[in-house]
Amino acid sequence: MTQARAITLNTLSLYAVALVLAAAYAAQFILHELPCPLCLLQRILFAALAVGPILNIRFGPRPSHYAMSLLAAVAGAVASTRQVLLHIMPGDAGYGSALLGYHYYTWALLGFVAAIVLLAAILLFDRQFEEEKAVLPATGGAFAQTAVWLVIALTAANVMTTLLECGFGACADNPVVYELLKRAA
Amino acid sequence: MEFTILFLATAIVMLIAWRGQRPLALGLFGAVLIACVATYLHHATDTLKLSF
Repeated sequence: MTQARAITLNTLSLYAVALVLAAAYAAQFILHELPCPLCLLQRILFAALAVGPILNIRFGPRPSHYAMSLLAAVAGAVASTRQVLLHIMPGDAGYGSALLGYHYYTWALLGFVAAIVLLAAILLFDRQFEEEKAVLPATGGAFAQTAVWLVIALTAANVMTTLLECGFGACADNPVVYELLKRAA
Repeated sequence: MEFTILFLATAIVMLIAWRGQRPLALGLFGAVLIACVATYLHHATDTLKLSF
């Protein structure tokens, strides 16, 4: 795999992260389901997955960048596995609504596991690391720049919505209202 | 509040990865990941009701 192709794949992975963060927002604003603390942590770890690809686009692919995403994916898989186990007993309706038969934390676990597998697979291609003298566009081109700013914008938006939801104290275990809006009302 | 700070820190790490120095981005990413693990351990206190 050439360096250019690896950067294209990294760009696509950023769009995938953006899609996950946008889908989480869709559940939050369309279905009015506020994310629980463990759900928020999974969102943060999905966002953290994007740091490796951003570095790959800017500085060229390096194993250390993929390792960063791998660590974030493993941490995310642990968090989502715990939430799956919290609701695994028969009779437990789970947290939030289900999408295509699975709750969001189950989809999150599948997403993190898929990320681990894909990251391991892309690390198999050594050629992407050997073209150090290849000339890279400083910021990867418009397609990559859009992906980077989209992920950064969605993460920054989460700063605001999480502040609205949790306020300045600890986040509720089962949040049903936006704490800051409740105080303002 | 801790989740707001973690989102903010992640956004800052992304901006540094895109515009700043690579070693700083790597270091801050490590700090954010450790903070995420600490937050997870702080919240994961309920006993899992499993039968095995």
